[in-house]
Amino acid sequence: MIRELFTFRGRATARTEILIGVMMAMAVLFLWEAVARAGFVAPQFLPSPSQVLVALWTMVTTQHLLWHAAISSLRVWVAFLLAAAMAIPIGILMSSYRIVGASLEPIIDFIRYLPVPALVPLSIIWFGVGEETKIFLLWLGTFFQLVLLVADDMRRVPHEYVEIAFTLGAKPRQVLTDVAFRAMGPSLVDNLRITLGWCWTYLVIAEIVAADSGLGFVIWSARRYVKTPEVMAGVVVIGLIGLLTDQILRAMHRRMFRYM
Amino acid sequence: MASDYLTFEKVTKAFGPVLVVSESTLAIARYSLVVFLGPSGCGKTTLMRMAGGLDTPTSGTIRLDGEAVAGPDRRRGMVFQSYSSFPWLTVEGNIAFGMRYRNDLNAAQRAERVNHYLKLIGLEDFAKSFPNRISGGMRQRVAIARSLAAGSDVLLMDEPFGALDALTRERLQVELRQIQAEERKTIIFVTHDVEEAVFLADRIILFSARPARVLRDINVATVLGASRTLAARESQEFFKLRNEILHLIRNEAGVVK
Repeated sequence: MIRELFTFRGRATARTEILIGVMMAMAVLFLWEAVARAGFVAPQFLPSPSQVLVALWTMVTTQHLLWHAAISSLRVWVAFLLAAAMAIPIGILMSSYRIVGASLEPIIDFIRYLPVPALVPLSIIWFGVGEETKIFLLWLGTFFQLVLLVADDMRRVPHEYVEIAFTLGAKPRQVLTDVAFRAMGPSLVDNLRITLGWCWTYLVIAEIVAADSGLGFVIWSARRYVKTPEVMAGVVVIGLIGLLTDQILRAMHRRMFRYM
Repeated sequence: MASDYLTFEKVTKAFGPVLVVSESTLAIARYSLVVFLGPSGCGKTTLMRMAGGLDTPTSGTIRLDGEAVAGPDRRRGMVFQSYSSFPWLTVEGNIAFGMRYRNDLNAAQRAERVNHYLKLIGLEDFAKSFPNRISGGMRQRVAIARSLAAGSDVLLMDEPFGALDALTRERLQVELRQIQAEERKTIIFVTHDVEEAVFLADRIILFSARPARVLRDINVATVLGASRTLAARESQEFFKLRNEILHLIRNEAGVVK
């Protein structure tokens, strides 16, 4: 069995792979702890994992870390749902009707390449430093990407499905809702999952420039006092939330699209 | 039996500057199985698609039962080679989907029709299976059943058995003849496989290379009869007809003997 792991294109059971993954992560943590303790690197540059863990616990018990995490999650989800609610219908229409596609594609393609951080000042001028700015920046970062991904998912629906539906007596609207939307389901949910991850990137940017709450704010304030363990703890929390959300969405994907 | 049930009158189709079908005139009898045979890319599929209302002729008219074809509808169902069944629906879900846009059936009638067609294609045991769990041959049966459930009078089949292995293919050919006899349907079947054409057809329309013109109209039913068993595949008449058609195609293509 061990031999199989080192064979070109060999196979492994899911259990073995999880075991290997956990062992590797432990090894990295152990090495990190050892290097940090040996004192090669100053602790303000590389605190040990145990110090980060202690910082994490202190932040949870005395600095409302979970509340900050909840605020950040809420911002991400509000902006993401807003972007998705707009991107799904618009993306579908872009690939269904050339008039919509031809008129929107150039504009969206242009805005898509604008870096979100470059729009922070504008966003603050427009919306101030309240929640609107954060939601706007997250929306900006996801909507324009997602709408093109949705349009692409729609375009890739096999033409056969559409034609079959027509010859079964469906009207264009029914083809769209009963067939094309169903057919694009799996790739659509995949793209939503990926875009949700991007939302977290933009969240940190938004919370660094204009916030007094949230994980980005926590990380940025800790940096000001060179509390490196707290900076790392904040990053770890974002990583954990990301990992958890992704696993939940993957499990949902498997349940929803059992037929695949 | 109306011999001009489905008619093509001087049908021409061009995609931009490319002429694909050239002035094809044809009359297809009700309840017959007509095979469109011709080299790949010759335009035979386009001609059939126009009968389905999925492509529009550049000039000429196609009529079903005297009525000009103006777009796709339930009377003419398509069966494709790939993506033929909806992967998100079970076998029975796919068959039921055929009736989704009919409002002349109540729930009990729908259920009864689903069962009828499940039985017809022999997939009662796979009613709850999703298409990815059944074989390619079974998926093609599902596609046929779905069109029948929709109440199509005409089945338009675009190389439906092209991706199947030889044994499955042979079996489905026999089954298709049976289904056609039992359900009384008119079928246009597009293929470039000469043996498949001879075995299935009441009549073969042999097309030239692009742009498709009717090269030869071959009445197979008078040679091989109406019922086709696998024994018919081994008969002298079968091989003779097959060889004749192969020669016609080779001569047309200018292949050296």
